[in-house]
Amino acid sequence: MTDEVLTFQYADAAQQRDAVTLGMWAFLATEVLFFGTLIAAYFNYRIWFGPEFIAAARMTKVLFGTINTGVLLTSSACMAMAVSGYEAGSRRAPVLWLIATALLGLAFIGIKGVEYWLEYQEHLVPALSFDLPRYGGVAEIFFLFYFCATGLHALHLLIGISLVIWLAIWIGTGRIDRESSTTRLIGLYWHFVDVVWIFLFPLIYLAGRSG
Amino acid sequence: MSARGIWRCWAALMLLLALTTALAFVPLGSAQLGASLAIACVKALLVLFFFMELKGSNPLIRAFACAGFFWLLIMIALTSADYTHRTDQRVPVDEPG
Repeated sequence: MTDEVLTFQYADAAQQRDAVTLGMWAFLATEVLFFGTLIAAYFNYRIWFGPEFIAAARMTKVLFGTINTGVLLTSSACMAMAVSGYEAGSRRAPVLWLIATALLGLAFIGIKGVEYWLEYQEHLVPALSFDLPRYGGVAEIFFLFYFCATGLHALHLLIGISLVIWLAIWIGTGRIDRESSTTRLIGLYWHFVDVVWIFLFPLIYLAGRSG
Repeated sequence: MSARGIWRCWAALMLLLALTTALAFVPLGSAQLGASLAIACVKALLVLFFFMELKGSNPLIRAFACAGFFWLLIMIALTSADYTHRTDQRVPVDEPG
């Protein structure tokens, strides 16, 4: 995965750098559409079911969601610090920032886990434990969307955390070249997962709060 | 990106988070969704431009970055246009078919 030396198909390091960045953005464009289908489904449900769907969104835990958004935005800032330190040639600072990033990512997963547990106890988990007579079918559809969207997001975050830990170890033990783009590319992935959450947060947690 | 720039961007993101959360509890009616999505777009653009360094990257990379969102917009616009203009009754969710 490391591009330690200039591979033969590139004229110079700048071209290689642009090419790997472009490749990452091409992958991220597919990810935009991957999460985008879920968000398109959300809009259609919202149009189709109207107030009932929005009422179900009010049952989500807005405090947990808001804290988690803050945690994730902060993790992105730490990731940006890691990338900028790495590109400036420092070795120790990026490792520390990467550890901070991974810990904030784990904190997000932990908070999400508590939230899932509370929802399980309130019988809001479709297929596993859902109180249909109490909440109704539209709420079940909302929570199906909620668990698909946040679950897939959490899966992406877990992949991100694994990559960040791996990267911290590799930089720490000096197994990665100074010119390598790996840190920047993992940074792009991390920030993308953050962007997905930036849109999921208002759609899931803020809908219908003033109603 | 400089450390100063990163933390400035972070501060802006946190302010926008506080703003969008506070606005959600103000009765704005149908403007609610638009307002929260507009703030989300500003937050996303801050991350895309500064953290993901689209500011200053070459035009081809920017075009790739735009492409995904552009196709997404088409998908959302077309499916929403369909759903908003359906005139048939939806099957009630809670009554047996």
